Amino acid sequence: MRLAEHLRARDWPVVFGYLLFVVLMAAGYYYNVTFVQLGLIDLGTRHVGLSGAAVSAWMAGLALLTFGVAVAMGVAMDRRGWSRNFRTKLRILLGVVVVQFGLTVVAPTIRSVEAFGVWIVLASITLGVGFPASFSLAIDLVPVPDRGYVAAAITAVTYVAANAVPLAWSIEVFSRVMVLAMVPGILVLAALVSGRVPGLKRVVDRLATRHEEIGPGRFCRPTPVQTRSLAFAAPVVLMFGVFFIDSLGFLRIIETPALVLSSWQSPELSTRLLIAAVHAVGALMAGVLYTNFRRNGLFLWVFALFGLTYVLYTSDLRLGALFPTLAGDAPSIVNPLFYALTVSFYTTLNFALWPDLATADTIGTHSAIGIGMAGWLATFVSTAVALYLDVADVGLLTHLNLVNALALLLLFGLVVGLYARRMVGLYRGAGG
Amino acid sequence: MSVTEVIPLLVVGLLLLSASGVEPDRIDVVVDGDHVVTDVDDALAVGGGTVTVPGDATLDGHLLVVGGNVTLAGQVTGDVRLVAGSLTVADGATITGELQALSGNLSVAPGAAVARRSTIELTDTAPSPWRSVGFLAMQALVVALAGAWLTRRAPGLLENVGDAVTEHAVVSGTVGAIAGLSLLVLFVYMAFTLVLLPLSIVGLLAEVGVVAYAYLVYGYLVGRRLPVDRPALATALGSVAFLLGVELLGHLPLVGTLVQLGLVVVGFGAVLVTYFGLQEFEPAVIPG
Repeated sequence: MRLAEHLRARDWPVVFGYLLFVVLMAAGYYYNVTFVQLGLIDLGTRHVGLSGAAVSAWMAGLALLTFGVAVAMGVAMDRRGWSRNFRTKLRILLGVVVVQFGLTVVAPTIRSVEAFGVWIVLASITLGVGFPASFSLAIDLVPVPDRGYVAAAITAVTYVAANAVPLAWSIEVFSRVMVLAMVPGILVLAALVSGRVPGLKRVVDRLATRHEEIGPGRFCRPTPVQTRSLAFAAPVVLMFGVFFIDSLGFLRIIETPALVLSSWQSPELSTRLLIAAVHAVGALMAGVLYTNFRRNGLFLWVFALFGLTYVLYTSDLRLGALFPTLAGDAPSIVNPLFYALTVSFYTTLNFALWPDLATADTIGTHSAIGIGMAGWLATFVSTAVALYLDVADVGLLTHLNLVNALALLLLFGLVVGLYARRMVGLYRGAGG
Repeated sequence: MSVTEVIPLLVVGLLLLSASGVEPDRIDVVVDGDHVVTDVDDALAVGGGTVTVPGDATLDGHLLVVGGNVTLAGQVTGDVRLVAGSLTVADGATITGELQALSGNLSVAPGAAVARRSTIELTDTAPSPWRSVGFLAMQALVVALAGAWLTRRAPGLLENVGDAVTEHAVVSGTVGAIAGLSLLVLFVYMAFTLVLLPLSIVGLLAEVGVVAYAYLVYGYLVGRRLPVDRPALATALGSVAFLLGVELLGHLPLVGTLVQLGLVVVGFGAVLVTYFGLQEFEPAVIPG
């Protein structure tokens, strides 16, 4: 790891850069997976009085708008040169966090549909502006060989915090925690941006030029990956598939009290700590695999693990349907543990992949399209599909069976695609 | 007995019932609670709880007991199998088929009518130290011969896997842990489908085979450090030394088990990442 070299050389500004990136990304992701994804459901259903389906529709709208704003922001960042300017990115992030702070404070007070809608639109804009800006910091702060491990650290920190710290899934609780966490974040960002703190100014000066050395990503050396190329489109499609599968399955799992109360919302701290530990171990494993194997290997692992996870869930449900007394009261803990492992794998891949598919000139666009398409658009589509399945009265087993089929289909498709690519390579090599 | 302990027995029992021509979806299963059963579809499998078949009831099918307590006072027209748990056949009860007792507690009242009856006695003898030593010696002989043969026929295989163990232990351990665990869970769940049970047994045996192969590699690595000129002999001696070392580790509480587990996981992964030694493991080169 390069980090060890920087530690030995006592290059503290660079070490601070690692820390800043991990903290910013983990905080942003934690905000997203807790406050945005779980808190809004509570806000919409409990305070505003919307139905679950209506809240899901609003959430889908949030995902779609975030995607649009992110692409516009990413393209603007690259065209205007903001992607290369470390200070500008920090200023954008400071603005985003300040607005999000305000939104987080007022969220629990919202009682009308109109206010809920305005809140969603404003949140979408901040999220859409924020994530290309935050992902693009990777080219300033994290050397290419360390990106897998740094991504693993972000994933581990986020999921350990989300699972080990027992928070009720309510907007008031999330709001209080986020407000407390955002205050020091705003202060640090403001201090970095102001340039008035001598020590921090030196740190920013040192980090501001690092993109010239560490900017080109792992898959952009020697030739940069073009936005309109198969090398970029293929990972986007695959990650879209990963997020779609996860979101479609998880939306149904969290609506099933027996499944969620025996795992992510278990009253037993030991259960949640176990899930948190598996998340951390899974993230570290994914970091090792990302660093030591080619990219497609990790995609294969992710799809295979998703396939296996849903096989476990559907097998349990089938067994329960066939032999009701055998199923007992508590679903198996093995299933959420495998789910946690899989989610850690693809989240780690997601944090490392987009900066590695970009250079300092394309990081804004590539991270916006990559995460926008894969994360937000996939969430929008999966929410729409989940709503349709809900309206169509599709049962839990059929729903998860569908997700399982998709995971296995993507696994099969990837294997066939890789094999076909190898065949084409051999054919061309043979002069065909 | 917990559900997880009952499930393997139930799988075996359900297989036995399936072999008798019973459809799995026509088997009633009980694993907990108190139940009075007066009729069944094709069979009743009891994994736990308490089941009573009253005197005026007739079960038109088979009865399988793998756990819990069953009192039979009525009639069973099929076979009755006791695998584990407790079965009491009361006075006046009738079993038209065969009563088979493999294990568990069986009590048959003198007034019960049983058409045929068979018992398989499983005697549990205390392990003799000589027997353990003999088994270990046999294992040592097998790994020594296999290691020597492989070193003579294809030394490159062991060398490639050995390099992955020594040079890339973290990567090998990661791959070994995730692949070993995923495959283990997959094979266990395949067994539950009954249809894929043979494949799951083959898969589990293959996993054991990979671990055995990894043991040979460790033997090769130990052998390289021995002052023996002939590579085949060195691997054979190394394999024996490694096996003895692993056996001794088993006597260390916790730490020994963790080290054993670590060795297995790293070896398992090293075998996989080198394709059983057919190619050297080269980690991806990351520029920058």
